[in-house]
Amino acid sequence: MSTVKNWQLKRDMEYAYDEARPKRQWAIVFDLNKCIACQTCTLACKTTWTSGKGQEYMFWNNVETKPYGSYPLGWDVNVLEKLGKQDWAKNGSYEGKTIFEAAPPEERAVHFSPTDEDWMYPNHGEDDCVGSQDSGGHVGALPHDKWFFYLPRTCAHCTYPACLAACPRKAIYKREEDGIVLIDQSRCKGYGECVRACPYKKSMYNPITRVSEKCVGCYPAVEQGIQPQCVVNCIGKIRTMGFINPPWKARKDNPIDYLVHTKGVALPYYPQLGLEPNIYYIPPIHADRDYLRQMFGPQVDGAIERYRTLAKDPVTAGLLCLIGSSDRIMHRFTVANGVATGFDERNTELVKVPVTEPIIERPAYDEKLETVRNNTP
Amino acid sequence: MRSLLISAVLCTAAVAAAQDLEARAVKADLTKDDPAAAYWASVPEVNVSLIGQPMVVPRPSTTTTSNLKVKVVHDGKRIAFRLQWADPEKSEAGRLGQFSDAAAIQFPAAVADFPPPVMMGAKGLPVHLFHWRAQYQRDREVGKPTVKDLYPNGSIDIYPMEFPNAEANQGLTAKDQEKFSPATAEGNPQAYSKTGVDEIIAEGFSTSQVKEGHSSSGTGAWRDGAWSLVISRPLAIEGGSTLTLGGKSWAAFAVWQGGQGEVGSRKCLTMAWSTLTLKEGP
Ligand code: SF4
Ligand code: SF4
Ligand code: SF4
Repeated sequence: MSTVKNWQLKRDMEYAYDEARPKRQWAIVFDLNKCIACQTCTLACKTTWTSGKGQEYMFWNNVETKPYGSYPLGWDVNVLEKLGKQDWAKNGSYEGKTIFEAAPPEERAVHFSPTDEDWMYPNHGEDDCVGSQDSGGHVGALPHDKWFFYLPRTCAHCTYPACLAACPRKAIYKREEDGIVLIDQSRCKGYGECVRACPYKKSMYNPITRVSEKCVGCYPAVEQGIQPQCVVNCIGKIRTMGFINPPWKARKDNPIDYLVHTKGVALPYYPQLGLEPNIYYIPPIHADRDYLRQMFGPQVDGAIERYRTLAKDPVTAGLLCLIGSSDRIMHRFTVANGVATGFDERNTELVKVPVTEPIIERPAYDEKLETVRNNTP
Repeated sequence: MRSLLISAVLCTAAVAAAQDLEARAVKADLTKDDPAAAYWASVPEVNVSLIGQPMVVPRPSTTTTSNLKVKVVHDGKRIAFRLQWADPEKSEAGRLGQFSDAAAIQFPAAVADFPPPVMMGAKGLPVHLFHWRAQYQRDREVGKPTVKDLYPNGSIDIYPMEFPNAEANQGLTAKDQEKFSPATAEGNPQAYSKTGVDEIIAEGFSTSQVKEGHSSSGTGAWRDGAWSLVISRPLAIEGGSTLTLGGKSWAAFAVWQGGQGEVGSRKCLTMAWSTLTLKEGP
């Protein structure tokens, strides 16, 4: 066991290997306020990577409805229950135990092993709301007392992957160049230790090739400066992929660093598990706070407050407008004079968007086309 | 004090002797692995003790298989081991989270005066393993399972790669499709149909590599809560373990109970080598 730095926990923790941060770290930011669960991301990944035999049940990207949906069934509640009640300190550091620290001596991580059947209901709980509406369709109070939200998930290409730590064959590796975590398809023997150990359940067993597989971070695209399939195909334009730095190296003009470190509106999910996962979420502002605190940690209240005042913050608003505006990976952005601009790695301009879309007023009746215009909000 | 010491020494000697193996010569065709063959009756049985693998994490929390009954014969060209152990259920793996019953015999990969470290050898001190899985035997007997075998009630709309293309009027060839099945494309032996026994060379934990060539074989039969398995191999294997008549070598063992979730480093094994002597003549 080594002692490593986990900035998401604001403390050091125990891990199977020494700290070895990659040159840069693959990361996705999702704005959960905008996801519509259209599952286009899921299908984009499916058709790209997992349409073969033995992959029928696999969704390396999935979108589940929280709190009732989960794929595989109960992945989150099971691991939280195994870990037991744990606490965050007042200053925002984590006082509890991570899945590595709480593991019995014969295991790498506290885990639960999903059964075959647990993977069979990817849409379980979809659109199920907490509580029922007595009458009418209006939800008055904020945050809503009747709530649900959609949670799109890929592998988090964790800084401290549990899948990698648990593999006795050392068949899993984290790439130095981009932090993508891969299972060596020629070395894996299908022991399924990664499937057991990953608390997010993003490592999956292929019963036809008899080895495990997982999200590859769309590395062939990333190597060419292109964002992953599940990102570029997102209908809601809710997600962006880029590279995150640890807070001590954060750059204000890096889109991911800005949202996570500078502005603090995007948070890792279940950081208390201790993996330093690299998918980050802008929390849904109207969902239950206790639930969100459990999922995103104590920073969630501040993140929501800041998100709610974005109208007064043209830089963040501009950056959110850039999300989904280019297929290429954005390494730098600027916002000036009402225009947000994204740049690639070579500092070549990728895209320019207005921070505020111009409002155009037109008469209800169009004389030229002799037709009545409807306003469809 | 003195008597205590003596009894301790005697005890150790007795245990060590009990686990030493002697391969008896038989006149039989050892290419046919038969756990029920008549010649086994005339061979002494040695009880080998196993414990839950204690070194590498993840590891089993209990010892599921503590005793392995071993008999060894040779015919001058080939050597066969019959291993018997209790296992309440037969497990052949298949679906997710199901693991196979398995057993392995380990030999030093090179002839030397002393054996390599018993747990998978060490760098420069390789070991040669013969790893049988019920799952691999099933491949040989009824073929590698298809999706239909594993999920008879599964319904699959289409496999895009098999979908006939309107213009070409055919899907991708099987060879082309392989490229999209990563482990198959990488030539990972796991993805291909097996014959029963994998030959493996290892130089320490996490280093094992499946070795080309299938000079070895294995057949197990599960009945009434116990496995009876024969693993046989040629005495001489190029680039691997070689045993000589009259000569002395070593062997070590491991057992996995798939039904107990044992796979990989979750196994029960011998913590010391058994010496192995090949008796000449009948
Ligand atoms: S494509 Fe985008 S909006 Fe649609 S479900 Fe996926 S993340 Fe949500
Ligand atoms: S999310 Fe799971 S599979 Fe992905 S890197 Fe982290 S531990 Fe591994
Ligand atoms: S990054 Fe690529 S491989 Fe991973 S979930 Fe998204 S589309 Fe699938």
